[in-house]
Amino acid sequence: MEGEDSSNSGVKYLVGKTAGKSGVIAGLVATHIATIFGLWFYGARLPKFDFPSLNGYIYVGLPFGFTHPDVAFVVGGVFHYVDGILFGLIFALVVSPMMGRIIKPLAAMTPTANYIKGLIWGWTLWIISSALWMPLLIGPILAPYGAPVGTFLTSFGPYGVQALLANLLWHTIWGANLGLIFSPRPASGGVRSWTRATAAEMR
Amino acid sequence: MAARTMMAAAGLFVLGLILLIAGAVIEPAAPAISQSGESLIALGLTFIAIAVGFFFAWAAPS
Repeated sequence: MEGEDSSNSGVKYLVGKTAGKSGVIAGLVATHIATIFGLWFYGARLPKFDFPSLNGYIYVGLPFGFTHPDVAFVVGGVFHYVDGILFGLIFALVVSPMMGRIIKPLAAMTPTANYIKGLIWGWTLWIISSALWMPLLIGPILAPYGAPVGTFLTSFGPYGVQALLANLLWHTIWGANLGLIFSPRPASGGVRSWTRATAAEMR
Repeated sequence: MAARTMMAAAGLFVLGLILLIAGAVIEPAAPAISQSGESLIALGLTFIAIAVGFFFAWAAPS
């Protein structure tokens, strides 16, 4: 599974031979693990986070999504997984190299630095999800059915602020898996730092 | 650096466990829910997930 970049950039990956492939695989794994955990949240007394169905309500509309939950789940699931994979790709090609250059403590290509970058990207998406996606897209769809979302996801249906924190847990799981699996390291061992040239070579 | 990172991860893990236990104690029997209980459970699991990830990153060969 482990591969060295064929472009002779001197970077190897935990999985895949290029940053793009590694990012796509890491995005798929992270999205699937986080999605499954979200569906299991109710077992820990947390709000169930069914992102495939929530996406489905956007694309198939309501009340069709309520009367055909399987259709909403599958259609929304496709878009949800594509979104997760593309966010992984964006992380691998743009965000991770950028963080390596801007945040000096994260410049080294080490598993710990890569992991922290994944967490930061996950938390960034948590803020976008809670501040924009849920209130602006899901809120208006579910509000007529008695499940408003509230500002910054603080009153989702019968839940209060715990929905916001469960969303934080979801995106932490996603970012942690992304950062652990998309883990570029120097092919020759030792420590290497991100430079503008490194990012260009990796593509 | 590695030792300090692991100490911080261990601290996060313990903090997560404490929050998780506190949340589980506060949480009433189903179907009733407690906003504070569920919030502490979510935060506790978040800290535990972060700490476990740190351990995996630390243990990964570089």
